[in-house]
Amino acid sequence: MLEVDHLVTGYGGVPVLHDVSLTLSAGEIVGLLGANNAGKTTLINSLSGMYAPMSGRIRFEGQDVTAMTPKQRVEIGIIQVPEGRLVFPEMSVRENLLLGGINARARAHRPRQMDHVLELFPRLQERLGQNAGTLSGGEQQMLAIGRALMAEAKLLMLDEPSLGLSPLFVQYIFGIIDRLHAEGLSILLIEQNLNLTLRHAQRCYVLERGKVAVEGASDVVKDDPRTRRAYLGL
Amino acid sequence: MAEFLQALAQGLLIGSTYGLLALGMGLVYGVSGVVNFSHGDFISLGMFLCLGLYSALALDPYVSLIITVPLMTVIGGLVYWYLLRPMVGHQFLMVVQLTLGLSLVLQNGILMVFGGQPARTPSVVESKLLILGDVVVRVPHVIAFVVSFAMAIGLYIMLRSTDFGRSIRAVHQNAHAAALMGVDVSRVQTLTFALGIGILAIAAALLLPGTPIQPAQGLRYTVITLIVVALGGMTNFVGIMLGGLIIGLSEAYGTIYLSDTLGMLLPYGIFVLIMLFRPQGLTWSSSR
Ligand SMILES: Nc1ncnc2c1ncn2[C@@H]1O[C@H](COP(=O)(O)OP(=O)(O)OP(=O)(O)O)[C@@H](O)[C@H]1O
Ligand SMILES: [Mg+2]
Repeated sequence: MLEVDHLVTGYGGVPVLHDVSLTLSAGEIVGLLGANNAGKTTLINSLSGMYAPMSGRIRFEGQDVTAMTPKQRVEIGIIQVPEGRLVFPEMSVRENLLLGGINARARAHRPRQMDHVLELFPRLQERLGQNAGTLSGGEQQMLAIGRALMAEAKLLMLDEPSLGLSPLFVQYIFGIIDRLHAEGLSILLIEQNLNLTLRHAQRCYVLERGKVAVEGASDVVKDDPRTRRAYLGL
Repeated sequence: MAEFLQALAQGLLIGSTYGLLALGMGLVYGVSGVVNFSHGDFISLGMFLCLGLYSALALDPYVSLIITVPLMTVIGGLVYWYLLRPMVGHQFLMVVQLTLGLSLVLQNGILMVFGGQPARTPSVVESKLLILGDVVVRVPHVIAFVVSFAMAIGLYIMLRSTDFGRSIRAVHQNAHAAALMGVDVSRVQTLTFALGIGILAIAAALLLPGTPIQPAQGLRYTVITLIVVALGGMTNFVGIMLGGLIIGLSEAYGTIYLSDTLGMLLPYGIFVLIMLFRPQGLTWSSSR
């Protein structure tokens, strides 16, 4: 479904990702691990089309999307839940969800999709009229995921969904991720939390200073000594 | 007392249109961070277009809106897309310089076409009066008030309950997140700028009847707008309309109780005073 070939991306001409390749098949849940500054957010933003790569190619469902704008990528179903949630603080929960479904493909199905999201997150139902900025961190994460689902994601990419959440909320959010996966959604899960991700993902990539250091099935990656090394930056 | 009420009425009526002018600038600032120093010259352009249409086709300014609103909206869109967009987000000072340059171009363009002497554009309602007890108000001012508030309310509803309005607010609150949800940020910024200039076409016609115009007046309107926006808090709807009323009132009272020229200075004095005591503007939280 997703193929990233020899991607090089950077800022102001200085590469941050060096020759990253990865694949994700339909219905798969793939983990992307890495320490701080490994380049995880840079990668997910490249997949969303926020900056043009210096070289390399990105294909989605057989189509070359390397030159597509962020809007076009949303329209074909590549949706990101950004690091730090980035909900619209002065819009209500309902407005945030409506905005999530603003792309041309999803717009017409918003009422149905909203029902689905609110069934998934009953807590949001209670807060529909409340400004998103007044929600707790965990609720904001629910809203950020709900907003992405409103966009009718085919590939859902989550950037550190556990960041700053209490263990209970982390468990809850990962339960939701499992459920979405069981419903058939393809998921790219970006995390620093090693054990958690190895438990929920089928395959993992470990990014180290902009390069893929380890890749494979989760239990293989788990036992590979290079994983911990890359991770601790040793 | 009659004088006092007279000034109150006039100040509120004109102030509402100042509020409308400032809403346009606030919206543009909110989505793209552009402070448009050619704002007042676009108002000039709107007024002189009305004058031109009157001279050529004997159109009343209110009727000319059918032509000036779409025309200026398109001009606004083109100016943003080709001139401002390449600079926005990179170089704040460059953007300021660009809009200042644009101000000079507009001013001199108008001067070239219409000459430098003050001109008037007649309207059928120009000399009509409305008498309410001791207070005499001019009908064009009443029209300006009603239309300005109707526009402000319309804009508010548009921002709250349409997809376009929500995407404007989303870009204002977090442009990166808006882009990730499939909002075309450049397009929203361009359309908002176009909308802002289109609003100026309306405001120009509202202010026109009975007002002599001359090409160099743009700066005065730019300054009034900047003051109102600063008073209201750049992106606060209610605050901006309130700021418009305050500036309208101070101008009206200044002209009646002080001399003409001093009266024109009063709004600036009030502005400085308010900024000394409430540098964050009149209201507290942003309503967007
Ligand atoms: N907008 C930017 N401009 C310049 N450099 C950047 C920018 N964003 C990130 N970088 C640099 O790119 C490198 C990778 O950053 P990135 O945010 O992709 O890492 P990350 O793996 O997501 O880290 P974290 O776990 O802290 O979120 C870092 O060295 C960072 O300083
Ligand atoms: Mg990151």
